[in-house]
Amino acid sequence: MKTDLAVIGQGAVTPAGVGLAALLQGTPVEIPTPFVARPDRTWPVFRVNLKEPAFDRWQKEPRLRRASPITFFMVEAAEQALAGLGAAERAETGLIVAFSTGCLNYSRRLFEAIITQGQKAASPVLFPETVFNSPVSHVAATLKLEGAAYTLAGDETAWIAALKVAALWIEQGRVKNVLVLGAEEFDSACLDAYQNAGWLRKREVGSKFIPSEGAAGLLVRKALPEDRRIISQLEDGFIYRSKIQASAAMKRCLQHFDSNLCYLESAQHNWLGEVEGTLMQARKFHMATGDYNYLGEATLASAGWNTIRALQAFSETRSELLVPILGATHQIGALEARERKSLV
Amino acid sequence: MKRAVVVTGLGAITPLGGNVAESWNALIAGKDAEAPLDLFDTSGCRCHRAAMASVPPISDLKPKALARLSRASRLAIPAARQALAAAGLLDSSGRSVLETLPLSVSTTAGAMTLGENFLRNILAQKRIRLLAEAARYLPQQQILDLQEQLGFEGPSTIIANACASGANSIGHAAEMIASGMADCVLTGGFESLTELVFVGFDCLQATSTDRCRPFDLKRSGLLLGEGAAFMVLETPENAEKRGVQPLCRLTGYGHGTDYFHLTQPQPAGEALITVMRQAVDSAQISAGDIGYVNAHGTATPVNDGTEAKAYQTFFGDVLERTRISSTKAAIGHTLGAAGSIEAFFAIQALLTGKLPPQLNLQEPIPEIASVLVKENESRTDLKHTMSVNLGFGGSNAALIFSRYEN
Repeated sequence: MKTDLAVIGQGAVTPAGVGLAALLQGTPVEIPTPFVARPDRTWPVFRVNLKEPAFDRWQKEPRLRRASPITFFMVEAAEQALAGLGAAERAETGLIVAFSTGCLNYSRRLFEAIITQGQKAASPVLFPETVFNSPVSHVAATLKLEGAAYTLAGDETAWIAALKVAALWIEQGRVKNVLVLGAEEFDSACLDAYQNAGWLRKREVGSKFIPSEGAAGLLVRKALPEDRRIISQLEDGFIYRSKIQASAAMKRCLQHFDSNLCYLESAQHNWLGEVEGTLMQARKFHMATGDYNYLGEATLASAGWNTIRALQAFSETRSELLVPILGATHQIGALEARERKSLV
Repeated sequence: MKRAVVVTGLGAITPLGGNVAESWNALIAGKDAEAPLDLFDTSGCRCHRAAMASVPPISDLKPKALARLSRASRLAIPAARQALAAAGLLDSSGRSVLETLPLSVSTTAGAMTLGENFLRNILAQKRIRLLAEAARYLPQQQILDLQEQLGFEGPSTIIANACASGANSIGHAAEMIASGMADCVLTGGFESLTELVFVGFDCLQATSTDRCRPFDLKRSGLLLGEGAAFMVLETPENAEKRGVQPLCRLTGYGHGTDYFHLTQPQPAGEALITVMRQAVDSAQISAGDIGYVNAHGTATPVNDGTEAKAYQTFFGDVLERTRISSTKAAIGHTLGAAGSIEAFFAIQALLTGKLPPQLNLQEPIPEIASVLVKENESRTDLKHTMSVNLGFGGSNAALIFSRYEN
């Protein structure tokens, strides 16, 4: 990345509420949710409350009448990040969305209908909404973003990939601003998936893995002298299949960063969080903050939330932060966020 | 200053063949791969046919490891291996000579079959361990399969812009090289047929119960297909260092989104026209320089009408200088792989001068009737070819390949 990215807008939709205040200070409520395969058993989940007033305006949008929850999370986070941007500037704004499972609710409903009621029961209304690219199309159309648009898939590290694509588009002059969104929606099938992966283990209070959902948005542009919040380094591509390989991949990734950097704990209450903790302590990285409430694991949304938290965590003595972006199923990445003292 | 981008290696597994030569020769011979679909039950569907690829053996893997690979990975790995081999990037053991190799890849469904198995089992409340199904259906797992089998790591970008994804992944790779972000990128797309997607298109009545007839007045829908195509893109200097002769240049890329409707293009094809203009502008050529267009041409009533109008407007007075065909009548619509496989066909046209014929044509739609490729048609003067794709959600993309002249 040749260009420092200035973050000029931020937005968040979380299970603790809508907006940055909820992201930084909110406390989500655990909702016991049954497994699909074992309806008699439950596991706590953090869910976004779509009845919050912030979503009212989007429920009335004709384009969104059939849209999935993830689209509503995204459009609200996007609008927060775009606040203050006029129509002309929106027309020059690109959009990159990254997620892991996309419109999972509709995919599950469509397939459930097929296998329980037969192929003739497949809904032509649902199917288009299951396509990975549908939410980005809805968001761009609703918010009148007329620049380029990509949907990226992957684990948490797709957040790094999305920011890299944004930097590339800006360097090329394809667009002036890029809105980068990370989002995820929960479906009960996630619980069964996490259980099969062995992540739902009873642990001590405060370190239990809790599936979650939501969205995060960053509006970025090429850093100008007056811009203070900067993303200055993006690293990814350190792949692994096993826990041992993940540890080695994390070491290789961290070699690209100043070893004195403070870091923001990724708060993944799964095995990756354990690897991260061990490695960071061994390398004498310092925990930047443990002040935030755990919002659960929402893959790409979590990657975005952590980046925003880092951008909000600068202080007199701390103007750089390392944000580990630990992919749960493919690779390890990290980014550096900096606060630049005013130059003008 | 933007750096030049060249293609140095191609690989493909298509319904017409297990490598570049087989697929291309069958295509030029006018063959098609439409057949009864036997990968899953289709008894509840209107349509029962598709274009299936033969999954090639991966001889260096033990049966247990092979069994873990999804059908999507079984298509992607050999295609990527062919591309690396052709570019001189494989060692004698079939592993990449580059430890770090960026990837720009496309798919729309990943290994959805595993996801379907997972859902089928949990909905039946079966209490069996489903780790492989839960973990390995996601697209990044096929990327990991590729990286492990071919022996490299590095950043990967998985683009899921529906049916334009394949062109986007190649265009993005080219932009990475042009901007200096990378010197060499492995790029392409893969897709395997899955029940969820097949039934989805069927319930939309987007699939045809007749032959697939792109750009025909009697077209009634698409034929779904599967496959993978990969290519190695790099700078000419990088290729020269290894003593590899480039196949062609990638000179133009345009992409954009049509927000008219989730599943229907704006009737005049305005977004596609803009995207094609972006592509010719970036290639620093004019529309009249493009000798062949591999069109998206799904054979759905809405797509082909709009696309033909867009070509008529874009080419204007110079329409007669070009030739157009959709190869989906031969290999089906391979969704996330379509842009990559069709880019490979556009490159082969440039390299050989042979043009893929427009199959199953009875009454060509008038806007482009005169320029649809006929059987055994060839052009020895091709300097530039274009590959065009459109997708759900309004994704549009165009790539331009140009003859390499040292």
